[in-house]
Amino acid sequence: MSKVLSLNSEQQDALQELLNISMGQAANSLAQLIETKIDISIPKISAVTPTQLFSLLFETENAYYTRQSFLGNIHGEVMSVISRSGLSEVAELMDYDEPLSKHDIQEIILELCNILAGACLSGLSEQLELITNLNMPTLFQPKKANFDELNWQHSLVMEVQFEIAISSFIMRVVFCLDDVSLSKIKTTLDEILE
Amino acid sequence: MFEQLVDKLPVGIGIIDESFNIVYFNEFFLDHLPLELRDNYKQSSIAELFPEQGKFLNRRLKSVFVLQHPSFSYWEQRPHIFPFKSSRPITGEETQMYQNMEIIPIKDTKSDGKLACIFLQDVTAQASYFKAQQKLSEALRREHEKQRQLIRKLDSAQSQLIQAEKMASTGQLAAGIAHEINNPIGFINANMHTFAHYTSNLLAICNGIEKRLNDFNDDLKHQMEALFEANQYGLIKNDIDELLEESTEGLIRVRDIVDNLQSFSIETAEGLQSVNVNQVGRQLISLISAQYNSIKYIFESDHDEINVIVNPASFKQALMNVMLNAAQATSENGFVKLSIIDKGESICLKVLDSGSGISPRNLSRIFEPFFTTKPEGQGHGLGLSVAYTAIEQHQGKIKINSKEGKGTIVEIVLPKQEAIDSSS
Repeated sequence: MSKVLSLNSEQQDALQELLNISMGQAANSLAQLIETKIDISIPKISAVTPTQLFSLLFETENAYYTRQSFLGNIHGEVMSVISRSGLSEVAELMDYDEPLSKHDIQEIILELCNILAGACLSGLSEQLELITNLNMPTLFQPKKANFDELNWQHSLVMEVQFEIAISSFIMRVVFCLDDVSLSKIKTTLDEILE
Repeated sequence: MFEQLVDKLPVGIGIIDESFNIVYFNEFFLDHLPLELRDNYKQSSIAELFPEQGKFLNRRLKSVFVLQHPSFSYWEQRPHIFPFKSSRPITGEETQMYQNMEIIPIKDTKSDGKLACIFLQDVTAQASYFKAQQKLSEALRREHEKQRQLIRKLDSAQSQLIQAEKMASTGQLAAGIAHEINNPIGFINANMHTFAHYTSNLLAICNGIEKRLNDFNDDLKHQMEALFEANQYGLIKNDIDELLEESTEGLIRVRDIVDNLQSFSIETAEGLQSVNVNQVGRQLISLISAQYNSIKYIFESDHDEINVIVNPASFKQALMNVMLNAAQATSENGFVKLSIIDKGESICLKVLDSGSGISPRNLSRIFEPFFTTKPEGQGHGLGLSVAYTAIEQHQGKIKINSKEGKGTIVEIVLPKQEAIDSSS
């Protein structure tokens, strides 16, 4: 792990705590919107290489992928993995009519990612007192070869998994930050810890 | 000033309050609204104003008000949220405007109430371009697929050519060998006759001696009898005719096969000739039966000789292909029957076999070039298509009927005298 990436244990604990709070808020927002119960996993923080990131995200079977970038005090990308199973129940909760067309499904996926990623990011930004703006999400079909050629060595990733209680639906949201943003977060965490 | 700026921006800007009623539309929105709505849009519900996408708009607005987070929509999934006309009513390819939409949460600076701001982008040009690109790439893909098929056919044709080349040289080889065999067969045949003649002379001498044994004195008689016995004269006398007969028959068969080989392999004569189809049929059967010898062959014709004007090479090739297929489809103890019927103006050749038959699905494609059910490398799917072309060129008709597991019947009708297609 490069030096830039290493969070000390205090920073890591603080970030973990902030993530717990903001992800909880995100789940609440979504639950409020679609009026159903949502479970979230404990957020995971780790450092990955491009190849590891690919395995972490895109070797999931039967899934849709999206990506979405964010700007502001910190820069990075949110990538989401959405299970194909259980999607029709979620569509119903979101007030879509059966049968779902290809375009309906795409729209649902993009909207789900936007809602969850947006909620997570705004929660985190609020906790860290940062300003962030999320750009529009797009569908993503990554190729492993392209990932092997990416020009960064390590990235900090924060991962959280959402599950909707009444269906088999699972969605994973992964935040990746660039180096500059990581330094910024570390500074902010230190300020909070003081 | 800012109000003017917002009004003139080339994107649609609309402000919606928490009850989903319209607070403000900029000029972009107003310009696209029907005339009767332009004066009294304020405070009307957005879902009422745009009923087609009302449900969707309400849903997205709710999400923005609840989550306080932007919502996006793209033309790919939902091209026409607002039923606006394209901005190029005269020259544009599209009649409806393609739109990307973003709704962001804002706050009323005076009352601090929650509001939503709709940004609407006209992306008709991009959408139109994208769709044209997609069409193009689809056309390209189809073209590519066609070419791939052509290449496959070319590959197949090339291997067929190589095969044909091989067959042609095999044919020439066979003709050469046939010619070489003919010479020794000629003198063996002649010698055989002389042999038979000499043998009968020798036998006559011995018979004469045998009859007159009693005229010799006892000593000589015993000597002669011992000599006959030692050389098994009795056996030789009985066996020799049979042996000679068998050998002569064998020679005739060899000569027949060689003749047939020659007449099928050195078919250089182009153009029309009178051909006795009965003779061709018989020759074919004897040729094919040499290779596929576990089947019974039946030849049937109501005349000894039926003459037609054909191109001998292509006619023989056609009949050979049909007969070969029949023989190959037929298993041991089955039969292949060739009947030739004279119908006055035309002749009818029927090839009937008790073979495996052809499924209805395959039957419809049977004359297609390169269609084959044989394992790869054993057939090129050209036999029947060649036959079809040859018969067509003779202004004839070829028909096929089959029942799976029962057998197949191929019927060829050929006019006796006809003008051949100039392309032949």
